[in-house]
Amino acid sequence: MATSAVTEIKLVSNDNTETMVDRAVAERSMLIKNMLDDMGDGAFEQGIPIPNVNDQVLQKILTWCKHHKDDPPTAADDDSDSRKKTTDIEEWDQKYMQVDQEMLFEIILAANYLDIKPLLDVGCKTVANMIKGKSPEEIRKTFNITNDFTPEEEEQIRRENEWAEDR
Amino acid sequence: MSVATRTQVIMPQVPNREDLDATWKYLEMGVAKIMADLQDGIDMQTYMGVYTAVHNFCTSQKAVSNAMQGTAIGGAHRGAHLLGEDLYQNLITYLTAYLKNLVQLSKTHSDEALLSFYIREWDRYTTAAKYINHLFRYLNRHWVKREMDEGKKNIFDVYTLHLVQWRQTLFTEVNEKVMDAVLKMVEKQRNGETIEHAQIKSIVDSFVSLGLDESDPTKSTLDVYRFHFERPFLEATKLFYQSESKQFVAENSIVEYMKKAEIRLDEEEERVKMYLHPDIIVPLKKTCNAALISDHSAILRDEFQVLLDNDRYDDMERMYKLLARIPDGLDPLRAKFEAHVRKAGLGAVQKVAVDADKLEPKVYIDALLEIHTQYQALVKKAFQDEPEFTRSLDNACREFVNRNPVCKSGTNKSPELLAKYADAVLRKGTNGAEESDLENILNQIMTVFKYIEDKDVFQKFYSRMLARRLIHTTSSSDDAETSMISKLKEQCGYEYTNKLQRMFQDMQISKDLNGGYKEFEDKILDSGSARGVDATYSILGTGFWPLNAPNTDFTPPAEIAKAYERFQTFYGQKHSGRKLTWLWQFCKGEMKANYCKNQKTPYTFQVSTYQMAILLLFNENDKNSYDDIVKATQLLPDVLDPALGIFVKAKILTMSPEAGKPESGKMFSLNYDFKSKKLRINLNIAVKSEQKQEVEDTHKTIEEDRKLLMQSAIVRIMKARKKMKHTQLVSECINQIRTRFVPKIPDIKKCIDILLEKEYLERLEDDELGYLA
Repeated sequence: MATSAVTEIKLVSNDNTETMVDRAVAERSMLIKNMLDDMGDGAFEQGIPIPNVNDQVLQKILTWCKHHKDDPPTAADDDSDSRKKTTDIEEWDQKYMQVDQEMLFEIILAANYLDIKPLLDVGCKTVANMIKGKSPEEIRKTFNITNDFTPEEEEQIRRENEWAEDR
Repeated sequence: MSVATRTQVIMPQVPNREDLDATWKYLEMGVAKIMADLQDGIDMQTYMGVYTAVHNFCTSQKAVSNAMQGTAIGGAHRGAHLLGEDLYQNLITYLTAYLKNLVQLSKTHSDEALLSFYIREWDRYTTAAKYINHLFRYLNRHWVKREMDEGKKNIFDVYTLHLVQWRQTLFTEVNEKVMDAVLKMVEKQRNGETIEHAQIKSIVDSFVSLGLDESDPTKSTLDVYRFHFERPFLEATKLFYQSESKQFVAENSIVEYMKKAEIRLDEEEERVKMYLHPDIIVPLKKTCNAALISDHSAILRDEFQVLLDNDRYDDMERMYKLLARIPDGLDPLRAKFEAHVRKAGLGAVQKVAVDADKLEPKVYIDALLEIHTQYQALVKKAFQDEPEFTRSLDNACREFVNRNPVCKSGTNKSPELLAKYADAVLRKGTNGAEESDLENILNQIMTVFKYIEDKDVFQKFYSRMLARRLIHTTSSSDDAETSMISKLKEQCGYEYTNKLQRMFQDMQISKDLNGGYKEFEDKILDSGSARGVDATYSILGTGFWPLNAPNTDFTPPAEIAKAYERFQTFYGQKHSGRKLTWLWQFCKGEMKANYCKNQKTPYTFQVSTYQMAILLLFNENDKNSYDDIVKATQLLPDVLDPALGIFVKAKILTMSPEAGKPESGKMFSLNYDFKSKKLRINLNIAVKSEQKQEVEDTHKTIEEDRKLLMQSAIVRIMKARKKMKHTQLVSECINQIRTRFVPKIPDIKKCIDILLEKEYLERLEDDELGYLA
């Protein structure tokens, strides 16, 4: 496949903003990588539409991709325990994730959509860290959730999940 | 083009994510476009549109909230419900319809056109499947993965789903027709036509791809390929070659058939490389071997004897290679080969064995070697030096070397003749063989030696003849002698050659001893007194040399007596307590005859010591009577008569009366008119009858030695085992002795009885024997 021929590609966000980006950077997204492989070089001169992501979020995502463009590619089915268990986040990513909640969720949704597994992991870990050690009430407050359980329901859930509580 | 333009209008509008019908309609359009027009490429809008539609549907808010409501509190256990099953099922429905249509289309094609159709559609379908797999990646990542993690059967990633559908809907309908077309093509090729074999290769690849392991989707199996391709392919191959070979054999010679079969087998191997799956190579070979070789092995083997008789090396090689391919194919050849070599060997011996008694050792050994050399070359050339054939050759050679017309009386004629041949080779002057030739001949001797069963007989004769060569210094080369001994040692071990080596050492020690004796002699003899005879002495260890003390009394003449007494004194000083026995029968010397008339340079007579004693008597008197000679020398007639006979025959002495043999009452006088063309005359000639006697003696001692060997083997075994069954002991004993000779079971039993009598062994219950220390 003539992949090396094109080194820069054009992405078009859903608000019609065009961004030129290094091919290696864009290929952090499995969606884009597969597409480039499938379509060949000729097909996307006019730019790749990204219908589900707006320019602001896309720029944020690309920032991450640029920083991580030389990371070793994660194996297709990397479910190793280390990735699952740890909630550690490297320093750069921690700083990267210091955004308002709105943006955080946009990043997560976009990473999921664009199929960027490591970024999705970082996003989810960030949320997990926000939940960790908090009471249900605190969590509700953090994420602005109204409690729609009846007291009975709440008691039942608490009992069922007793085993998981930190003691 | 019309489709393309239409999609371009519709595609950008990604449908409402919550509307399944709208979403699927949209997706179906995209999928159909990929299936139909992939070669034109699809546009970016479509690609992203389809992907996004799948993503959006799977992450639809409505579905999530629905699920939450539907499962109420219990839903917390399973986590978020994942959408996607609807898409998955719709995709299946679509693929089934698409493939059913293909099945219909396929019916308008047959043979090669069908192959082209199948391959074209397969390529199109699998390429599209790869695309669709990427487009439905979100479905794979979420819904499919979850289903599979939960252990659901018959859920596959989208690409695999395509293959499964192909197999279920299309493959089951058309595979037999496709295979028929493949087989027709292969048959055409076997009949010499050129075919487009890349097509078959594509079919093979397709069949292999369809081998999905139901229990583990990540693995693939060859089951589908084996059942639908390999099985019919092998069956067709079998039928083809069965009928072809049957016809060919009927119309052509066996040799021609072998050439044909060889070509066919090569072709099939080439076919695998060209367009078949490597997995087929073993079963295909088996099938071809069965049809082309096994089915005809009987007539092939029958031909083998003809080839052997006519020395058709190339054809035998061909047959070997063919039959080597089938199990147990070569055994009958080996048996035939062995019998043939044995027959050839016996024939060769028969030719030279007209008069076994006068048989020249060289002629006999050459006859044996010729056969061996000839068939060893055959084994090497035609049978690739295969160990089993070498063994057959060895068996045959062992047979005809030990049991042939020359060995009628027993198996020990061959070792005797071989030893004599070795003696002739190693003796000085018999043939002017070069050093390198000599080594070759020794190797040939070893070749025959390897087959000799009675190695002890060879040892006996060899050591006697070696002794004679050493005593009479008639060895042609010390190097050759040592080389021969080390060869024997290599074959039979240290014990076998121990005595031979000691004999060699004795000769070396004697050389040094003679040097010491010269110095000793110089000291005690003043320059004035006569030295007497100039003698060298060999000291031979009694145990190592196959020599016996003289069988006659002898009074050495005074001249010699002085010298030998002096030596005895010297030796006694050096090694006190050692007893020297003088083996006069092996001693010899030279005498100068100064008495002859008309002769300025004196003759030199080479004589034995006995002859010397006789001749010295004539220094005193010109005439001596038989009885005088007996009185003076004390020699028995056995020795005296032949010695005198030689003198009379050589006309050194005259006997009166002339008629008859030397005996009591005859008179012997010195012949002053003795004449000879040579200046040196050898009178020390062994008499024929003596030689024959020696051979018989040797054979007699062999029987005795064998008994001792068997007895010592039995004692050795029993000492180690303490208790043993009778039959076990016998077989163990045979094992131990076999390297020397093949013992007969009754002889072993006799030896056991002797040991029982001597109370080395005792009888125990239950046919057991015990060892008595």
